Amino acid sequence: MRYRNATAYRFLTPYLLIFAIFWVWPIISSFMISFQATRTVPWRFAPGFNWGRLIGDPAFFNALKNTLLILVIQVPVMIALAMVMAVLLNSPLLKARGLYRFAFFAPVVVGEVAYSAVFRLMFSLDFGIVNKLLNTVGLPKIDWFSNVTPAMALIMIAVTWRWAGYNAIILLAGMQSIPEDVYEAATLDRVSKLKQFFFITLPLLKPVIVFCAVLSIIGTMQLFTEPFLITERGGPGGGTETLGLLLYRQGFRSLNFGYASAVAYTMAGLAIAITLVQLWLTREAK
Amino acid sequence: MANVKLTNVVKRFGVFEVVHGANIDIKDGEFVVFVGPSGCGKSTLLRMIAGLEDISGGEIAIGGKVVNDVEPADRGIAMVFQSYALYPHMSVEQNLSFGLRMTGNPKADTERRVKRAAEILRISELMERRPKNLSGGQRQRVAIGRAIVREPQVFLFDEPLSNLDAELRVQMRVEISRLHKELGTTMVYVTHDQTEAMTLADRIVVLRAGHVEQIGRPLDLYDNPDNIFVAGFVGSPKMNFIKGHIVGRGAKEVVVELAGAEKTRITQPLTDAVPETGSKVIVGVRPEHFGIAGEGDADLAVAIDVVEHLGGTSFLYARTADGEDVVIQRDAAKVPDTSEVTVSIRKSYLFDEKGLRLR
Repeated sequence: MRYRNATAYRFLTPYLLIFAIFWVWPIISSFMISFQATRTVPWRFAPGFNWGRLIGDPAFFNALKNTLLILVIQVPVMIALAMVMAVLLNSPLLKARGLYRFAFFAPVVVGEVAYSAVFRLMFSLDFGIVNKLLNTVGLPKIDWFSNVTPAMALIMIAVTWRWAGYNAIILLAGMQSIPEDVYEAATLDRVSKLKQFFFITLPLLKPVIVFCAVLSIIGTMQLFTEPFLITERGGPGGGTETLGLLLYRQGFRSLNFGYASAVAYTMAGLAIAITLVQLWLTREAK
Repeated sequence: MANVKLTNVVKRFGVFEVVHGANIDIKDGEFVVFVGPSGCGKSTLLRMIAGLEDISGGEIAIGGKVVNDVEPADRGIAMVFQSYALYPHMSVEQNLSFGLRMTGNPKADTERRVKRAAEILRISELMERRPKNLSGGQRQRVAIGRAIVREPQVFLFDEPLSNLDAELRVQMRVEISRLHKELGTTMVYVTHDQTEAMTLADRIVVLRAGHVEQIGRPLDLYDNPDNIFVAGFVGSPKMNFIKGHIVGRGAKEVVVELAGAEKTRITQPLTDAVPETGSKVIVGVRPEHFGIAGEGDADLAVAIDVVEHLGGTSFLYARTADGEDVVIQRDAAKVPDTSEVTVSIRKSYLFDEKGLRLR
């Protein structure tokens, strides 16, 4: 048995080497860098330099506030929307189901730059279709890019558009794993379709919903593309700057890798903490 | 309690007709079993009675009221599913009371019904458990309990015992029989297991490929099958079929010679039309209707391949001179110790070439 294990590990060695160099080492290295003052060369060990700055940095708290705001509003809205989409996709009445499934999933495979450019165009003040539609129904134009609240809303709309379908497909897979005869039993029990959804589908889908929520929380904590490309580097005036963007700005614009590493570890820590709280709140009763 | 009447019931899935005009009259309080091989349409018929499948043609009436367009919940039926269909996230108590709670039934009445069902099925001590913490037999009891709390006019069972092991199946079979006696409610039960059908039913409906082949009391089907399919399906081990042809005929009888056994001639009295001499026929002999040589209507020489000893009874797996397989039932004490033996045919059934019974 020992010999067979050794053979297996020899085959695994090339992968494990690459894994150690490009995955394990950066994690360790960035953790060590977070304890170094990296604004001057040579870098020096100063444990309180970055972590101390983090506690008092208004830019960090602004990015944290924005990230959490998006998390609290966008994730529940997106999962609720994904649930509605999954229910519709699961309906036996729906024709061309495969086409709809593809359509809902398509945003995930569209290039980030391309979709961001299209969103900028759609929400443009003077030429965007969104403002034209608002005008058509008698509402005033919105300057999506110059005011903080509309800009945040735009980020949330964009992220929701991109990921709701993806979550809907996961929820749909969960829904289809619920045996049909459970619903038939409920139908014979005179339980309405709406009550079947709330008392059978939702409770049985709980593990899948938690999975989607955890994935979304992790994704939102790392949110970068939309505020970088759509609202132009967290604009207006840092109004949509997220932790991911702050990390990028510190690490790759200011080359302050120590502080960027501290921000990265904070993001990871927060994602783990929020996920653990969520898992605890939705734990299965014994 | 109510009677159930199916009149020319047809089911089509697209262009495929799977049930071809079934006529079945189930009396009030009767236990009727639909039996047949896979794909014969027995579950489809049951689901049509439940309202879970649309009726493509004909009429289904429960308690004298046509229910073709009545919602499943309004038909006065309760159904027990093959896979139990319990709500996995609810306790046994919640599973039993769910339907009543959702429809706003008074709490006291719900509690009374749940308590009664739990007592009938002896599951009172399991009320707080989830389905995943129950054994197969316990899950089946809960599924039956859920049907009982509805206090239906008709119980529908869709192969309820097929997921249980052999021992539990026998136990639950007795339980269901007891339940029928206790409640006296009309029960319609679907199974592919002829033993279940024979032991449970007041009457059996034998189905094949969407056709009702025969309806009758278990022993009537066993003793007096209408055709070769029913003869072969009812009884375990199944009836033996040996080819033969008619070598003589009288006004009310025929003489049949078995293929490959010129000396084996059976005289069969017939009340219907007597077939022509030379007509090919099939002779059906149940395993227990073979006797010791010289005891019956005719003797047949067979070569024994395998003997199965089951204690009091033994089964002899043998071949006729024509190479046809036959199963012979014998008392364990009377099993011959030679491989070539002659057995007598004490009772036999005659079928024409199409498989219809010649009476």
